[in-house]
Amino acid sequence: MQDNIARLKDKAGWVRRQVLEMIVSAGKGHIGGAFSCTDILVALYYGGILHFNPSDPKWPGRDRFILSKGHSAAALYVILSDLGYFSSSCIGNYQKEGCILGGHPHRRIPGIEGDTGSLGHGLGIGAGLALSAKMDKVDFLACVLIGDGECYEGSVWEAAMFASHQRLSNLIGILDKNGLCSTDRIQDCLDLDPLDKKWQSFGWDVVNVAGHSFEDLLSVFSNIRFRKSNKPLMIIANTIKGKGVSFMESNPNWHHAVPNDEEFKIAVKELGGCRQKGVDS
Amino acid sequence: MKPPEIDIRDAFFNEVYAIAKEDSNVIFITADMGAHSLVKFKKDLPKQYINIGIAEQNMVSVAAGLALGGKKVFIYTIIPFATFRCYEQIKMDLCCMNLPVVVVGAGPGLTYGSDGPSHHATSDIAVMRALPQISILNPSDSCLAAYCARIAYESVSPVYVRIDKGRQPLIHKEKDKFPDGLVLLRGGSQLTIISTGLMVHHALKVAESLDGHGISSAVVDLYMIKPLNESLLLSAINKIKHIVTVEENSIVGGIGSIISEFLNDHGLFIPLKRIALPDQHCFESGNRESMHKYFRLDEENIKKDILSWVSAV
Repeated sequence: MQDNIARLKDKAGWVRRQVLEMIVSAGKGHIGGAFSCTDILVALYYGGILHFNPSDPKWPGRDRFILSKGHSAAALYVILSDLGYFSSSCIGNYQKEGCILGGHPHRRIPGIEGDTGSLGHGLGIGAGLALSAKMDKVDFLACVLIGDGECYEGSVWEAAMFASHQRLSNLIGILDKNGLCSTDRIQDCLDLDPLDKKWQSFGWDVVNVAGHSFEDLLSVFSNIRFRKSNKPLMIIANTIKGKGVSFMESNPNWHHAVPNDEEFKIAVKELGGCRQKGVDS
Repeated sequence: MKPPEIDIRDAFFNEVYAIAKEDSNVIFITADMGAHSLVKFKKDLPKQYINIGIAEQNMVSVAAGLALGGKKVFIYTIIPFATFRCYEQIKMDLCCMNLPVVVVGAGPGLTYGSDGPSHHATSDIAVMRALPQISILNPSDSCLAAYCARIAYESVSPVYVRIDKGRQPLIHKEKDKFPDGLVLLRGGSQLTIISTGLMVHHALKVAESLDGHGISSAVVDLYMIKPLNESLLLSAINKIKHIVTVEENSIVGGIGSIISEFLNDHGLFIPLKRIALPDQHCFESGNRESMHKYFRLDEENIKKDILSWVSAV
């Protein structure tokens, strides 16, 4: 168990370092939100949680993961490339001319299940996928990562009502609750708390989790396939925007700022200089 | 055999019902909007029928998710709510992902009369045709409506269907034999009237009355507004001296704009008269017919405007 946790921590450090280099090289990208959800993504993809097959990206039995907060795509790209969905050379060309990897994900990229970038769409798409699975009596999960700022979108709550009414127990939401929207703190913009009670009142099961603790994430994620409930599940992951780099953490300026040379050096040092891929799974 | 006259919307939904009975992958979602023919659908095929509530954005996203899961989905409500309200979801979830979802919008143009601009659909063609991948259908009678249901079902890309309501006289005779995209309903050597939906009925009557003024007029039923069947349209206007578009849409961005762009793109300098609604919201009270008179979209005024235009150019 502890070896597994260490392996995931290494991997997350490496992913963040890759994201940092990609965004600096491209001169653009949403670094804060990518860092806040990196541990969630690493736990899902390397922690034995999601079912997928990089050599057969359209394998019917795969779980459908929708990155509804599409601006965090850089972290997902690193992971998908590392898992073999596409060449690592794409990572070096992120957002550059001729590269398939843009600022927001789309289905032309192997491993991406939905076009996102406009907030508030992913949960409804996930609900439709989950409903199709129920109709066809197949057992894949629809897993949707949303942001807390995204919860300002009314369509999120339309989807929330629909999912609970349809008893979509195979729909798993993960809320990257990093406390910041694009330019402001959530509590200063429009306070969303108590978010857990909001989701509960919309008919969802809700679990709170420490979003940067692999012990916590795995403990919750490992049960998502074996639930007895007939409700959809929202996992509220309490995270820190810009996690891993002190001057970025919980700082609204780092929604999509790009580090300069000096900031890059500090960030590299704080991320632990993880140039290795991490221990392979 | 001539099919019976039925409500055009029921003709469409009856065909969707027949399709859904054969194909259990067909799912029908309404945003709390009914129709006489849907009662049967809901009763007979409850597992394929969803009332998703008045939540159009979610309706589109859920439809996209169902389509990603292999379902053929029809979604339905009144046009402004089926298009403007959830335009970004249509753009991102349907068109960007090129998913074969059918958006069925009820009530083109001024169908909803005195219900006002919130319910009028006079600019939806302009905005919907700006989206890549999507096709736009606008049947003129119940025969063509049933045929459009089949086209929409068989499409591998998103489709937007503007569907009228009420019993209109039948224009088309056959249920399943239509040229691709447009029908030349009436031949003519001097002038071609191009129209869509309900206004095709007006166009036919205007063409008949133009005969009495010595103007031989053809009528084209442009039931597929996008994509345009350019080769068929070129043959329909071959050697024609004047073209008139007649539509119950804003002058901005509707079929008049489409034909204007088409003529320009093909280097065809044929005089074009666009008869449409003005670029304004309609707050008039009254029924659709009285509004047509107010905006000079009734047959008499269309004829007068064509005659004065033809004599001036």
